Amino acid sequence: MEARHRSKNLLVSFFLLWSFLVTPISSLSVTVNDVECVYEYVLYEGDTVSGNYVVVDHDIFWASDHPGIDFTVTSPAGNSVHSQKGTSGDKFEFKAPRAGMYKFCFHNPYSTPETVSFYIHIGHIPNDHDLAKDEHLDPINVKIAELREALESVTAEQKYLKARDTRHRHTNESTRKRVIYYTLAEYLLLACASSLQVFYIRRLFSKSIAYNRV
Amino acid sequence: MAGRSDERMGAVGFLALICLIACAQVGEAIWLTIPSSGTKCISEEIRSGVIVLADYYIVDDEQGHIGTSTISARVTSPYGNNLHHNENVTHGQFAFTTTEAGNYVACFWINGHRQEGVGLKIGVDWKIGVAAKDWESVAKKEKIEGVELELTKLEGAIEAIHSNLIYLKDREAEMREVSETTNARVAWFSIMSLGVCIVVSILQLWYLRIYFQKKKLI
Repeated sequence: MEARHRSKNLLVSFFLLWSFLVTPISSLSVTVNDVECVYEYVLYEGDTVSGNYVVVDHDIFWASDHPGIDFTVTSPAGNSVHSQKGTSGDKFEFKAPRAGMYKFCFHNPYSTPETVSFYIHIGHIPNDHDLAKDEHLDPINVKIAELREALESVTAEQKYLKARDTRHRHTNESTRKRVIYYTLAEYLLLACASSLQVFYIRRLFSKSIAYNRV
Repeated sequence: MAGRSDERMGAVGFLALICLIACAQVGEAIWLTIPSSGTKCISEEIRSGVIVLADYYIVDDEQGHIGTSTISARVTSPYGNNLHHNENVTHGQFAFTTTEAGNYVACFWINGHRQEGVGLKIGVDWKIGVAAKDWESVAKKEKIEGVELELTKLEGAIEAIHSNLIYLKDREAEMREVSETTNARVAWFSIMSLGVCIVVSILQLWYLRIYFQKKKLI
């Protein structure tokens, strides 16, 4: 009872401490003109590399959907570990075959520059080999690492949702602006067309131009 | 026996902390290639009241001379205010708390003349929110260590997830309102365009009638 009360106090105090320090959402955006590569270092072989990327809408005029962007992951040995062609956003996850510098490349096959919002996470869980090597590492650290990775996957999912939400927002804003401006333009055009009609009919009946015709 | 296990837990915790800090520092950083001419910008949409901590450094000079190249960096807020500006450095860092919600842009470019087509690799360590939190000072202040510190970090992460969820929900609600007003507007404006069409044609006919009556053609 005592311990539970104390832990509850701890929880409340921590919540108050961090209630203003929130949002670990950290999806960086980069503008892709032709090829943009991001490098990230993987410390241990067998680590899970996970992440996602979303192409933020850049106000396409006619096409109903984004043409897509190509994404490839190259291992330090030079072979492609993961590749995806022509999508407007995707999640990926793979086990790193070896440690080293991995290259994550976005290729834009079209001439218009695109903005890609991406998030890459490298998760390491100490396994039995690490436990055997380092006698100070407790099995509880393995469980904590697993918990942390699970939380990271939730965070990654949230970042993906946020990026897609941003894209949706742009589409919505664009639709709203289009509705207003295009209807105003339509009304003005209508008024112009009818006044032009009136002027033309007047001209037909004016004495100087068509005296004998009508 | 209990005392020795406590000591052991302390040692385990300290080592785990060191491992974690080492992992966190290497794992979070990404490397970018700055083109020989022009700037490379990274941006992020952040809401207000969030701590941003970033560190940038030159990693690899493809020409082979690490000492001779310098970079410049500039960070701008969504309203255009210059938050950080550094020229001719090999590494630097900046930290700020966001006051406005929007897109924060960090741009890097190479100083001096470079051979065409040869870029420069820089490492950027960009942390915001809970990830930017200084756990060492919290551990010292609260006098917690080891497993308790790990669990406290996890608790921080969970709180951040919870608040993000609420934030996403609020954004979605705003967007839903915009969608619904747009939907209502489409219906109204279409009916109104029919009304405008009828009104304009009636005005036309009325004007032409008066004109022809004046001209004594009717």
